[in-house]
Amino acid sequence: MSDDKERAELLAALHAAGAASEEDENELRVLLEADPTLEALVKDFQDSIAALASSFEPLETSPKTLGQIQKKIAREKGGLLNRLRGWFSKG
Amino acid sequence: MTAQARPTDPKDLVAAMAAGDSGAPLNEFYALYSSTVLALLMKMLGTRAEAEEILQEVFVELWRRAPQYDSSRAGVVAWVVTVARSRALDALRARKRRYGSGQMQFFSEKHGPKTDGGRPDVLVSSTRWHQALRQAFKRLSEEQRAVLELSYFLGMSHGQIAETLHLPVGTVKSRILAGMKELRAMLPIIHRSMVA
Repeated sequence: MSDDKERAELLAALHAAGAASEEDENELRVLLEADPTLEALVKDFQDSIAALASSFEPLETSPKTLGQIQKKIAREKGGLLNRLRGWFSKG
Repeated sequence: MTAQARPTDPKDLVAAMAAGDSGAPLNEFYALYSSTVLALLMKMLGTRAEAEEILQEVFVELWRRAPQYDSSRAGVVAWVVTVARSRALDALRARKRRYGSGQMQFFSEKHGPKTDGGRPDVLVSSTRWHQALRQAFKRLSEEQRAVLELSYFLGMSHGQIAETLHLPVGTVKSRILAGMKELRAMLPIIHRSMVA
């Protein structure tokens, strides 16, 4: 494997693992712009670490939680509609 | 023979949420991922009450960000986990600001997640997916697991890990790369075990 490929692989791994420094992230961004095929490698690594993160014994959530989420979303939707109404009424 | 309903593709659920539907698609999406997300949040935060609170934030954020979801850049699980991890790291940083670094705890799997003491955590029956994942991850070496856990679950950079484990930065980087390659190699095995 060429040095460039090895470097790209390392940066993709550090990025997916959440261990990349700002410099690493900038370097990876430049490499991705130059070679979009690297995106697949980054996605592979991200899917892999996500699998690790989703491997813990699942826990039952409180029965109330979904209702609370729906309430928060309804409030946001209401807020958005009001903002849109206000915006259109100004027009 | 009765026809079994085909499970909805999670990408379709995200698309419905992106279109603003917070009814059945959100409920189904929540049913699919909430137990897994809660387990991850417990792993990272250690307390049930905080994990449940962040769980709400995670699903509101997933609903809000559904229009930006791009399946060519991340699988649905990776997207969900990334948002959950990010919210948990924010909570850990807030805790650190409030109480100092002594509160940046990490709960390794062998000790199990801590509970608030008030109620035992109810474990949802383990699915084949989780069993297959856990089997596969036993193939990671202790060294690889340690650096990946510090980076992914505590948000440490390679420099911070090197300092914490008293290792050269180069060693940390090569362990992360080796661990990530090992994880990537396991994915097809896990997927095969699911269709077997």
